[in-house]
Amino acid sequence: MVRFKNRWILAEFIPVVHGSAQLGKRAAQANIDGKTIWAALKQSVLDNFGDTGWGAVGLSLTGESSVVPRNLKLIFFLLLVKYFSPTTNLCIIRVARDHHNMAWAAVTLLTAIEGVRYIPNVIHLSGTIKHAQLAAISHNREVIARYRALAKSPVAYQDGFDSFLETSELEIEAMQD
Amino acid sequence: MFFDLNVPIKKTIPRQSTGKKGKQAASEPAVNWVSAEIAAVEERIDLLIHLGYTVIGLSQTVNKKVDAKTHVNVLNQLVAQLRERPGIVYLKRLNIILDQDSEKGFGLINANVSLFHTYDLIALVPTTHNTFSLACLTHSLPSPLTAHIISLPLTLPRLPYHLKHTLTRTAIKNGAVFEINYVGALGGENDASLVEADAAENGPAAKRNWWASTRELVRVTKGKGLLLSGGVVIDGDLRAPRDAANLIAVLGVAQDAAHDASTKTPKSIVIRAQTRKTYRAVLSEAKVVVPGEATSEKTLKRLREDSQLAPIIPTKKQK
Repeated sequence: MVRFKNRWILAEFIPVVHGSAQLGKRAAQANIDGKTIWAALKQSVLDNFGDTGWGAVGLSLTGESSVVPRNLKLIFFLLLVKYFSPTTNLCIIRVARDHHNMAWAAVTLLTAIEGVRYIPNVIHLSGTIKHAQLAAISHNREVIARYRALAKSPVAYQDGFDSFLETSELEIEAMQD
Repeated sequence: MFFDLNVPIKKTIPRQSTGKKGKQAASEPAVNWVSAEIAAVEERIDLLIHLGYTVIGLSQTVNKKVDAKTHVNVLNQLVAQLRERPGIVYLKRLNIILDQDSEKGFGLINANVSLFHTYDLIALVPTTHNTFSLACLTHSLPSPLTAHIISLPLTLPRLPYHLKHTLTRTAIKNGAVFEINYVGALGGENDASLVEADAAENGPAAKRNWWASTRELVRVTKGKGLLLSGGVVIDGDLRAPRDAANLIAVLGVAQDAAHDASTKTPKSIVIRAQTRKTYRAVLSEAKVVVPGEATSEKTLKRLREDSQLAPIIPTKKQK
């Protein structure tokens, strides 16, 4: 059986506000989520690689949640935004392996989502979902550690981050292929 | 270890009035770095480190030619005032934009060697055919004045000269590299002095020109001798090193060559640039030991074993 090989791209979007507001947690922009990222990505692929590029990389129109019609058993979504966390700005994208370079370049060439400027930073690229999950969990931990270091709160201080880490870990582990 | 060897720093120097008889004060005029400017530079460096760069080359751009009397190395004082970061290296670089007026000479002469020693890297931006051949042939030869980086103006609508195979091959053989600034791929803003000097363009047309010219450059150099760097003015245009390497991999550079362009090639360039300060590009050090009464046999034997070169000892016969 010919298997469908994928690449899982872990990308972090760093918001740029006037200067670059990367380190502090800015809950102010709640404007991006999985769907808006997918739309921005689609636009980037269309602008830079044209219709042929979009045909090679992304088929589905509806993104991550779609209803499978009765007669079609297999709908393969070649480009999919699988996970997005607004607190850590981490996004996991699944692409077909043959054209992952194009999709990766499209992510790099993104400059803004919904009008707000971002810097896309691809932190990890893996072939299996397992390693993508591990990388995502350790990235979340690092980001939370950075927030805590910036907030300079005393060691035993109970902030909401622990519960966030737990829930996000569950969400990430729940991702299916 | 990722290198970004082109972080443009813009600083206008107040014009110095020269004395009537051309007498200049020996000390460097104090360049005032305002704390707001330093904070902006610090922020950009923080972002670069977050994205994964460890060696950062701050660059100053000069148009047409270097006038030794009025030129000030603004980067010296900037680097002195930057915060200490363990594990991060700052380098100073000078970009010289060459055009028709610089064909006769632009200050890269032996008399100004001491000025150029304050910079770690020298780059040339040729905009005419003659200056391009000058840069490839004459200035890539090893000497105290070698310009190791040739930065082509990739965002111009038409690359001003045809990239001849023989010229580029000679330059690469001599050790020079061709630089690609990834800011053009994003359609981001280029360094203002480059835009003024007609060596770069901003705007959507610049993106198209960049893709076309960079593809041509990659074709001529066959993926070797390429240096990938930023040239980024706005913080929002910065990209992680692997992302930038992927951009040129899409163009046709092999994946390992693309990765080399931001790791191995800049590393060898930085070391090669240090040879400018040595005699005839020799990087080892010979120890001269003059035996007096104090120098014992044991010391001489230890020195001989330590250094690969034998100590140069005047023999008794010559006396």
